[in-house]
Amino acid sequence: MKEEIVRIQRDALARIAQVSDRRGVEDARIAILGKKGELTLAQTGMKDVPREEKPAVGQLLNDARRAITEALDAKLVEVQARADREAVAGVDLTLPARSLPLGGLHPLTIVRDEAIGILRRMGFALADGPEIEDEFHCFDALNTPADHPARNEKDTFYFDSGKLLRTHTSTVQIRSMEKQLPPVRVISPGSAYRRDEIDATHLSAFNQLEGLYVDTDVSVGDLKGTLEYFLRALFGSDTEVRFRPHFFPFTEPSFEIDVKLKAAGQEPRWVEIAGCGMVDPAVFEAVDRERGLEPGVRACYAGLTGFAFGIGLDRLAMIRWGIRDIRALIENDVRFLAQFQ
Amino acid sequence: MKISLNWLSQYIDLAGLGVDEMSDMLTFAGIEVEDIRQQGVDSPLVVVARVASAEQHPQADRLKVCQVDVGDGTLHQIVCGAQNYKVGDKVPCALPGAVLPGNFEIKVGKLRGVESRGMLCSASELGLPDKEHGLWILPQELEVGTPISQVVKADTIVEVEVTPNRPDLLSHNGMAFELAAISGREYKPVPIDDAQVELEPAGDFVRLDQPEINPYYTAVKISGVKVQESPEWLKERLVAIGLRPINNIVDITNFVLHEQGTPLHAFDANRVQGGIVTRTAYEGETFKALDGQEYVLNCTDLVVADQSGKALAIGGVMGGEESGVTESTTDIILESAWFKPSAVRATSRRLALSSDSSYRFERGTSAWNTLRGSVRAVELILELAGGTASPTYVAGKPAPNPAHAAMPSCGTPDGPTSVFASLKQGKGATVENGLGFVRLSWAELDQISGGSIPHEEGARILTALGLRSGAEIAGEEAESEYWLVPPHRLDLTRACDLLEEIVRVFGLDGIPSRFRGPFVAESAVDLAYNFQMGLRRKLGALGFYETQTIKLIASESADGTIAQVKDALPVRPLQEGDIIRVALPLSEDHSVLRPAHTPGLIAAAVRNSNQGASVLRFFELGRVFRNTGGGKGRDIETDTLGILIAGDRSPRSWADPRPEQSSFEDLLAVMEVLAPGHSFTLTPARPREQAALGADVQLDGKACGYFARLSLSRCRELGLDKPVYLAELDLRKMQEILTAPVKAADLPQFPGSSRDAAMELPLSTPNADIVKAIEAAREKLLVSYSCFDVFTDPSGQKLPADCKSIAYTFLYRDPAKTLTAAEVDSAHQRVLKSLTDKVKGLSFR
Repeated sequence: MKEEIVRIQRDALARIAQVSDRRGVEDARIAILGKKGELTLAQTGMKDVPREEKPAVGQLLNDARRAITEALDAKLVEVQARADREAVAGVDLTLPARSLPLGGLHPLTIVRDEAIGILRRMGFALADGPEIEDEFHCFDALNTPADHPARNEKDTFYFDSGKLLRTHTSTVQIRSMEKQLPPVRVISPGSAYRRDEIDATHLSAFNQLEGLYVDTDVSVGDLKGTLEYFLRALFGSDTEVRFRPHFFPFTEPSFEIDVKLKAAGQEPRWVEIAGCGMVDPAVFEAVDRERGLEPGVRACYAGLTGFAFGIGLDRLAMIRWGIRDIRALIENDVRFLAQFQ
Repeated sequence: MKISLNWLSQYIDLAGLGVDEMSDMLTFAGIEVEDIRQQGVDSPLVVVARVASAEQHPQADRLKVCQVDVGDGTLHQIVCGAQNYKVGDKVPCALPGAVLPGNFEIKVGKLRGVESRGMLCSASELGLPDKEHGLWILPQELEVGTPISQVVKADTIVEVEVTPNRPDLLSHNGMAFELAAISGREYKPVPIDDAQVELEPAGDFVRLDQPEINPYYTAVKISGVKVQESPEWLKERLVAIGLRPINNIVDITNFVLHEQGTPLHAFDANRVQGGIVTRTAYEGETFKALDGQEYVLNCTDLVVADQSGKALAIGGVMGGEESGVTESTTDIILESAWFKPSAVRATSRRLALSSDSSYRFERGTSAWNTLRGSVRAVELILELAGGTASPTYVAGKPAPNPAHAAMPSCGTPDGPTSVFASLKQGKGATVENGLGFVRLSWAELDQISGGSIPHEEGARILTALGLRSGAEIAGEEAESEYWLVPPHRLDLTRACDLLEEIVRVFGLDGIPSRFRGPFVAESAVDLAYNFQMGLRRKLGALGFYETQTIKLIASESADGTIAQVKDALPVRPLQEGDIIRVALPLSEDHSVLRPAHTPGLIAAAVRNSNQGASVLRFFELGRVFRNTGGGKGRDIETDTLGILIAGDRSPRSWADPRPEQSSFEDLLAVMEVLAPGHSFTLTPARPREQAALGADVQLDGKACGYFARLSLSRCRELGLDKPVYLAELDLRKMQEILTAPVKAADLPQFPGSSRDAAMELPLSTPNADIVKAIEAAREKLLVSYSCFDVFTDPSGQKLPADCKSIAYTFLYRDPAKTLTAAEVDSAHQRVLKSLTDKVKGLSFR
């Protein structure tokens, strides 16, 4: 019996030493220590061992089981460590990435979102209006004379119905004032259309951002402070901003706004960026009339003051990224689009 | 408009005013300076020189080494590349230290190793129009050493953009008045004695048939004039601003137009039969204008005709070739009139014929200037061409400023903003020019300036601009809110017009910036914007590029890169007349409003495929347009999301050397990522002509858009060799469903059990039938199910070719307890029974 146990232990340790993988370790464990394993079977011979020898044989059996178990455990650690090493041996981390399709936002969306983000922080809410408009909202209510050149069918897209494609987003000024009571503090990004041939600097449909603030005592100082803050947030806090008097039918006084920008390797120069002005009282009167209120009598808007501004978003994108040809914005070439993500 | 500073300085003291300073002054008064150009040079170092000799340059074929005499007793060596002169010629020479236009300083230098001490100049190098190619060959009689500024006076030409509300600035006198007002410099007007001019009612000599368009006309007959070349000073004025001198009479009319802003016209009196009649043209009447072109007129155009009916001029636009002043003219009729701006504009636009006169008339001329311009011109004609002038014949009278006339006239403090005063012109007969008062309360100035402009400063500015306070005129403080507007300022009719003047001249620098605003509630547009930006960012991260395509597209085009209606997959199917067409498109390729994003997306895919892109994944959000009733209903605008997917699933890489082609389930997967927790279903619909496959899209069972695969024949037409999948989704409906409030559900307390089922069914039976049958079982314990395998075998070996095998897994759970195997099995059996009952030809494998 003793010899048998010694032999089993010797053979088992020899077998374990030969094992090279996890499977072999498990097979050996079953073959030796399992229910029908060699050592387990040898254990059943204990009942035939004379009583006085039982302690010594039992001790021998226990020692054998411990030694085999330890050998199996040690072997398992060894083969796993080897397998782990082999598993990463072939991995070349210097290979490039698997390619996923790339995508992203259009540059116009990026500048528009930035501008909207700034203006919303300043307490402007978004407003909207139709792109197919009528003459009232596009011209009449905006104090545009009946024979103004912009109303010409060579400059503006008309429909047979007499409606037209809005020539500016200023239409939303009127739409907003019709819909709500003062104070009004809205911005409205959107498309506008002019009957221009498409070339490097013109699109027949372009994108603007309109702003309007109307209250009891909005002043030129508010206009100046608001737009200076907005443009500095957009172009950098030390950007110089200047207001040049100009003329628009729907604001008086009116201004064009220039910002001083520095392109790489160039002297800083003034770049025209937006138009603005104090809302012309004729606009308020037109809104009141449209609301069925006689100017001066129960007037809603007449007597208030406000400012409006408009900024060209396509131009903003072109300035921001030095885009030379405006058509790049509508060609949607991925080699172009991929640059802004 | 071009302004010559030499000319301008006749009417305002410009001494010591730098051109840049002046440019800033104009810019910040609202007059945009577009260009400043130096003409000629002032420098004493640019002189008349004689070429004494010219030798070949030893190192350069095209250069000569000249010795030139500039009158200082020595010869100067100058290397010159010009070819058009000969020894002995007199030419301009810029000596070292001279500065030429463009800030180009002349220095002593070496040209190909030979010293050169100056430069011989062409006319253009001196900022003058080139008369010939090469050096400017000067007349021999000029003395050497004479500064060139004595030969041609140096001038600065400032080109300004005058806004349409300021026609009064369209002359040198007008600009001088404005500049004097904003700079405080002295204004020196040309004295025009319009109060003493001899007037006579025109009687039969001038008849105004269209007083609406032409209410006021003056004519002077001058007999015995000598038509000849104008004197140098007059030619110099015109040439400086780019006009071509013609003869003294024509030049004087042009001069007065640019000096006073009054358009004038001179007719050869012998070509005018009887007198003048202003009338509308006959429909189809032809007229040969001074520019040599023949124009076809219609009954809205005003013509100036004679009593025989012959048209002499298109009123306010251009005179006729036949009645113009020529060398043989001896008697002239000088016209100065007022034409209605809108009528002149309409004619000028329709005929595409513009002149300095029409430019001014269509912006509005001051009727007060009509007579003044005439007086000024007659004076100059008598001086430069001789002859005898008749009295000034006056027909009609100045039309009052319509803006003033529209207001009631009165004087109570609470009432009107304008009352009338008048300015009289002429003796014998008189012409009355109505003037307007505008009422301005200082409270309005405080409101708009935030109180930062002192009232005295406001009053000072208005006075400098030529307005007069009512207090001053009436001698009563009570009238101090009324301001009399000078007759040349047509644009000042309301309080806000005066406020503009004050703010403009005061400048924004003096008004402190203010930062404030009310709290503003988020609008529905804000919520829509947030939702849409969220979609944009997700799609960008999912590997889609956002496009921005043109909203005006072609109804049909031969060019595959141009979006066209044919490729549109609208949210609702298109019918005849749904497409909205602009009346006068720029071209057929941009003639209708897009009814969907898909045409633009397809054009983007074609463009990028042509340049070699293998992965085509694009989206666009924005507005689409259609008419609700086949052209008879309302035009509606909807915001939709268009998505296109085509080509490889991902770019080729070592890890994926042969990427699979994108298919419909890829696009559906992307849509589902946009709507986690919700489900999109496609219900096959009869495809449109261009769609090989088509389906209506439902989001949580609600119609929400359209899905399609572009037909292969269309793909071939477009040169796309891969299937193209498209979706067009209604953003408002998506927002409604996807932003509905969510309540968090508790996690299940008890385990569920799953069972699988493999079904064999006819190839033509859609998966939707299986889903319908599972739903029809209304099995309470069934919490979810999904399809995990679809198998077909066209060879028919493993499965009949007309069959498919679909495998589903089902999850069963009771929220209140752990289910026994028997309970799960019986629930599963109920579902399977519903499947066999409801789906024809279905069996389990």
